[in-house]
Amino acid sequence: MKIKVQTKGGSYDFDCGPEESLLYAGLRNGLSLPYECATGTCGTCRARVVEGKTHLEWADAPGMSYVKQEKKEILMCQTRARGDCTLRVPGKMTGEIKRDRWPSYFVGQVNNYRLVTHDVSLFDVKLDKPTSFDAGQFVLLESDEVVGTRAYSMVNYDRETNKLVFVIKRKHDGKFSDWIFDNNVEGKSIKIFGPLGCATFHPKENKNILCIAGGSGIAGMMAIVSHGCQSSYFKTHNGFIFFGVRSKKDIFFLEELSNYVMKYPENLEVTIALSEETNATGLQECYQNLRFATGFVHAVVSEHMTDKYLDMLAYVAGPPPMVDSALRMLVLEAKFPGTDIRYDKFT
Amino acid sequence: MTWQKVCAADDIANNTLQRFEVDGVAIVVANYGDGFQAIAPYCPHMEEPLHESGILETSGVLTCSKHLWQWDIRTGEMVGMAEKSLLCYEIKVEAGDVLINLEKELVYEYDEEDELDDDDFFN
Repeated sequence: MKIKVQTKGGSYDFDCGPEESLLYAGLRNGLSLPYECATGTCGTCRARVVEGKTHLEWADAPGMSYVKQEKKEILMCQTRARGDCTLRVPGKMTGEIKRDRWPSYFVGQVNNYRLVTHDVSLFDVKLDKPTSFDAGQFVLLESDEVVGTRAYSMVNYDRETNKLVFVIKRKHDGKFSDWIFDNNVEGKSIKIFGPLGCATFHPKENKNILCIAGGSGIAGMMAIVSHGCQSSYFKTHNGFIFFGVRSKKDIFFLEELSNYVMKYPENLEVTIALSEETNATGLQECYQNLRFATGFVHAVVSEHMTDKYLDMLAYVAGPPPMVDSALRMLVLEAKFPGTDIRYDKFT
Repeated sequence: MTWQKVCAADDIANNTLQRFEVDGVAIVVANYGDGFQAIAPYCPHMEEPLHESGILETSGVLTCSKHLWQWDIRTGEMVGMAEKSLLCYEIKVEAGDVLINLEKELVYEYDEEDELDDDDFFN
């Protein structure tokens, strides 16, 4: 089916399959359509159908609250074409996606599945073809055994790789995470669409970096630190990583983070913030090159980072209340301009 | 001119935003320390309620925490990533009361009833 997208900057045409969303079809054709979560929650991929028939897949998607259906508005991520269509897309289009970052569909196989805490698992997905992505990006995962797609950031950073690494926290009533945790998923087939997201790290930006993560939000930060280490970025730039968890039993990746700090002890600093623990006895002795603090992660950042926000980009990821607190702190206390804060809204 | 009282100046703490209804019209009033501004209640980007999503700095920069669009609250002008200015009501403080000129409700173009041929969807 032929889709025409009208934007303020011009018109674009692309082909769309009968079983794919309008958003994914546009993105995989290199068109930088507006989106954030790509899974029906954020409302950012709102568009208006000018001509043609469409079908809404998930009528109760939370993002539908942003949509005026009486004006034929849709969420492109939740809508399929039933024939040739013309859409209008609001907002600025940021231009075409770099050719080697065009998202596409993959089939993968779950490997090396293991629990890293009582409610967090880590696994690899072996892809049917190689891909390149930016540190901080995410993909959508889908299984034939469960309805819906979920967005997860890659933990690893590699170019032309067949392996993506994910860390997933068990969510209350999370269908996909229930599927992951309640089944023996080792070797199971999984569908992937990506890479997606713009909360990304690029060494050429030449700035110090601050990463604030809560729980499994550390995933994309691990990719950023990995890229920073691979490119010797921390030889010349500071990196401050803050990883917030509730208690000792919720901590993971300490070994990996400690190894990164070992490479650049002068400029890379990692702090684990424990919100429900009064002391970190035992941990500090085991991981002497990591810092441990108590309190909510945004408060720990606030206390520790005073006067250190020089020439800096901030990355934020985690549960929505944590993200909101961190953004508020960065804007109000640290005086970050919005252009120097990066985060993707999954929820 | 249709000046209407919104609230007492003391009702709004420094560097905060509050939502009010005047004659059934929702507005948000900001106290930026050395003055007040009255704006349409939603973010011009994705219609977030600014009295909840807005962060007002002492410098007078208002940030919508949803997507980090920012404005100078004194003028409503865009700062940083914002792509639309804020719609502001005329405002004055008299005898300790905040008054706005409410001749017409200010709404962003995404709220206007329009024909599909109109170009407003892209503004």
